Amino acid sequence: MRIIAGLLLLLISAAGSARPVSYVGGWTLIEESNRQSTAALIHYTPSPSWSLGLRSEWVRDEDYAITSLQPTYLLKRWFGQDYQANIYLQGGIGLASGTSGNPLSSTTAAYAGVIADWETRRFFLGYNARYVDAGHFGDNAMQLVRVGWAPYEGDTQDLHTWLMLEVDHRPESKDPVSVTPLLRFFRGPALLEVGFNIVDPTPLLNFTYRF
Amino acid sequence: MNMMSRFLMALLFLLLSTAVWSQHEHGQAHEHEHEHEHEQSVSENTADAASVTPATGRLTTTPEIEAALANGGTAVVADVLGVVCDFCAVAMNKIFGKQEEVAAVYVDLDTKALNLVFKPGASLDDEAIAALAVQAGYRISAVHRNAAVLGS
Repeated sequence: MRIIAGLLLLLISAAGSARPVSYVGGWTLIEESNRQSTAALIHYTPSPSWSLGLRSEWVRDEDYAITSLQPTYLLKRWFGQDYQANIYLQGGIGLASGTSGNPLSSTTAAYAGVIADWETRRFFLGYNARYVDAGHFGDNAMQLVRVGWAPYEGDTQDLHTWLMLEVDHRPESKDPVSVTPLLRFFRGPALLEVGFNIVDPTPLLNFTYRF
Repeated sequence: MNMMSRFLMALLFLLLSTAVWSQHEHGQAHEHEHEHEHEQSVSENTADAASVTPATGRLTTTPEIEAALANGGTAVVADVLGVVCDFCAVAMNKIFGKQEEVAAVYVDLDTKALNLVFKPGASLDDEAIAALAVQAGYRISAVHRNAAVLGS
């Protein structure tokens, strides 16, 4: 049942974790699945500095899901001829509900986080931290660092390929620190990430599509 | 599976991936043909437009750009800061492609340039181009027009 629900979430959504604020008037579909949760998000960008999304996240082992409104604010972007760097603030407020027969009643949930990245056409460095308070379903915190390297520089509309390594820290997990090697494929408006957590054996699958 | 096995599997995964993708010969998949040399930027990483060395300032042609030029359009090449991936190109294409004045648009990641051809008799001034780039999430560091753009 969990697998079917997860696949459904994957199918109804579409797309990865790069650039949480798009161009003005742009929509983005995002699916993220890691060792803790599976999430689908659609967001709209009304201004170059912020976006507003609707996010549904299923925390698989804890048997609850959060459906929330998620604003993201671009706090600062640095531009260079060969690089770009960003700091985003992200939050969300919504409803947490039990799944898989969890008898707990629905309750308000909220979260806040920060995303930072620095990227050239060959190197990537990113940091993400988030704290979630889901009422009687519990709270959790996470932070992760990701480094990436592109073996070649793809031009516009080429297939861009990245080798990445993600280290995440989830203090409440039985394995507080874990490592996920992953591949990122990127072409035009679509981004796909496929990896496998080698400490807490779980696949990682992220997909992003912009339109 | 113990930790060492997992680590070795991950290492193997990365090595195989590197081997496979390093076979990709950059440029073979290009559907367009650049009429310029792919010069990498000559400056070190910089933090603002003022210290940026301009890119080639030469128009990158695509079938759409050639058709727009053949129709009597005028060309502009704008050097863009921060374009490092296809999402950047998509954003610029979407924003500029919606403009009435624009007949063809192409963002070249190699030259870090926005290539525009306007419809005959139409144009956007430098300030308008810069403002539209901001809507896409980027910054323009220089705008090159007409003869210089076409290399004549």
